[in-house]
Amino acid sequence: MNVLEFLAKLFYGGLGNLAAYLAAHVLLCLLPAFYIAGAMTALIPKGTVTRFLGRNTPRWISYPASALAGFLLAVCSCTVIPLFAGIYKKGAGLGPAITFLFVAPAINILALVYTGGVIGMDLAIARLVLSLAFGISIGLIMALIFRKADIAHDKATDAMFAGQSAMRRTAVVFLLVLVLLLVAGTFQFDFLKHAYAQVTLPLDGMDAFQQWLNKLVPFDPARGEEGVTPQGVLLIIFLFLIGLTSWKGINNIHNGFNAWTWISTGLVGLTLLLAALGMTPHAGGLTLGFTGKFFGVLIAVLVLGWLLAKKMTRDETRDFLWESWRFVKQIFPLLIAGVFIVGMIRVMIQPEWIQYIAGENTFLANLVGVVFGVFMYFPTLVEVPIAQMFLSLGMHRGPLLAYLISDPELSLQSILITATIIGRLKAWVYVFWVALFSILAGLIYGAWVDGGSLGLVVLYLFLFLGTLAFVLWLVDRRNRHKVLAETVSVD
Amino acid sequence: MLTIKILGSGCPNCKKLEALTRQAVEGLGVEAEVIKVTDYNDIMAYNIMSTPGLVINEKLVSFGRIPSPAEITTFLTDTLTAA
Repeated sequence: MNVLEFLAKLFYGGLGNLAAYLAAHVLLCLLPAFYIAGAMTALIPKGTVTRFLGRNTPRWISYPASALAGFLLAVCSCTVIPLFAGIYKKGAGLGPAITFLFVAPAINILALVYTGGVIGMDLAIARLVLSLAFGISIGLIMALIFRKADIAHDKATDAMFAGQSAMRRTAVVFLLVLVLLLVAGTFQFDFLKHAYAQVTLPLDGMDAFQQWLNKLVPFDPARGEEGVTPQGVLLIIFLFLIGLTSWKGINNIHNGFNAWTWISTGLVGLTLLLAALGMTPHAGGLTLGFTGKFFGVLIAVLVLGWLLAKKMTRDETRDFLWESWRFVKQIFPLLIAGVFIVGMIRVMIQPEWIQYIAGENTFLANLVGVVFGVFMYFPTLVEVPIAQMFLSLGMHRGPLLAYLISDPELSLQSILITATIIGRLKAWVYVFWVALFSILAGLIYGAWVDGGSLGLVVLYLFLFLGTLAFVLWLVDRRNRHKVLAETVSVD
Repeated sequence: MLTIKILGSGCPNCKKLEALTRQAVEGLGVEAEVIKVTDYNDIMAYNIMSTPGLVINEKLVSFGRIPSPAEITTFLTDTLTAA
C-alpha cells in the first residue's frame, strides 16, 4: 500500500467515526446533557449540599453528602478545586474532601450520559454505583491513614457552610423536565421507538443521495460502525447553525438578551425534534415516522420553552444559557477533534494486540487499563469514544471499566493540583488507592459480565466493603484509646 | 481609588468577570486597580466555595457566579459612597 492510499484510509477512518458520533441518537443524549449540566451549575445553590459538609457534621452524613456534592455541584472545574480545598481546610476534613474529589470527575452528568448513550447503560450504571461506593471507602481510608495530620487543620468557624438556601420550585421543575427530555430521547423502550404516524415527502433522488453518502463515508456494520444518513446531514447543518447563532446571541449574554439568543435556543429545540423523527430515504422520497420519542421530545421542549419564557427570572435564564454554552464551547471542539483522531488511530491498531493484552478479565488486564488511564490525559468526554474503540477491538468490559474510572480520576495534572492543596505524600497515597480500587471495580464488573450471578457479585462487593469497614473501625478504636491515653498521661 | 480583586484560577468564568468588571470601572470613570488572584491558598483566605469571586477594597461582594454589569456597577458605587 502506498503512502497516499494509507493517508486516505486514515482520513476516511476519522471521518467515519465523526459521522457516527454526530448521528441522531448521540445528539439526543448529548444536547440535553449539556443543558442539564448548565442548569445544575446555574440553578442549584451551593448551600443546599455544602451545609452538610461543616466541621461538626457526623461522619455518616458528611461522607454521603460529599458524594452527592460531587454529583450535583461539580460539573465544572471552577467548582471542584475550591470546594475540595474548602472541605479539606475549613470543613469536614480530609476524608470527605477525598470522597468529593474521587466522585466528582467519575460521575459528572455529561460523562455518565455519554457513556450510557455510546457504550451502554450497564457500563454507565456500573460506573456510577462503584464510584460512589469506592469514593466513600477511599475517603474513609485516607482519613484514617492521616489521622494525626487531619486533626491539626484550620480552626475556622462553620460559617462558610451555614448556607440554608433552597432551590426555587420553578428551577426544580425545569431540571426535572430536562431529565425527562433526556429519558425520552435516549431510552430504548418499545413505545418510544414505535412510529404512530407516517408522512412521505416526494423528494426525488433520495436513494441516490444515500448511496453517494455511503460512498463518501464508507462503513462496516459488522464492526459496529454507522454510516451517514440524510437525517445526519441535516443535523450536522443544524449543529453548525446553532454554533453560529449562539456565538452572536449567548457569548455576550451578560450585556443583555438579543434576537440571536432566542433564535439559537429555538434552533436547539428544532434540532432535538428533527433528531427524534424516524427518517427513511427510498426511491420515492423520504418517509418521516412520528415516533413516540418524537412526541415525548415535543412535549418536553414545549414545556421547557414555556418555563424559560414565562416562569424563570431573567437572571436564571441568563445564567442557565451561559453555563450550558460555556460547557459546549469548552468541550465540544475537543470532542470533535478527539473523535476524529480516535477514528484515525483505530485504522492502525490490530485487534489481536488489544485482545492479547486485555481480552480477558484478569488482574493484569485491569492493571493495564488503569495505567493507560493514568498516563494518557484526554480532555473531558474524549475517554468515551476511546473506550468504545477498545471495546470494538475486543477489549473485555471489565478492564474497560477500570480504564473508564481511572482516566478522568487520575491525570498528572490533577495529581499536581491535589498535591499543592493536601501535600505530596497524601496525594500519592491517594493515587495508589484510586489505582487499586479501579482495578477492583474492573474485576468485579468483569466477573459479572462473564456470567457470575448478580447476587454473588453484590455479595462479594459487600463482603469486601464490610471487611474494610470492620478493619477501619478496629484501627479507629485502637487509635482513639491511644489518643485518650496520651492525653491523660500529658495531663 | 478602589482595589478590586478577581479570585479564580483563570477559568473562562473568571476571565468573563474580569472583562465585565473592567467595563464597569470604565463606565463609571473611577480610578481602580484590578488584581487577579490565582493562588488557591490566597483564594481560600476569602472563605469561598466556588470561583469566580469578586473582592472590592478587601470586601467579598460576590462569588460562584457572574454578576450582571448593572450589579457590578452597584457594588462599585456602594463602596464609593461608603468610603
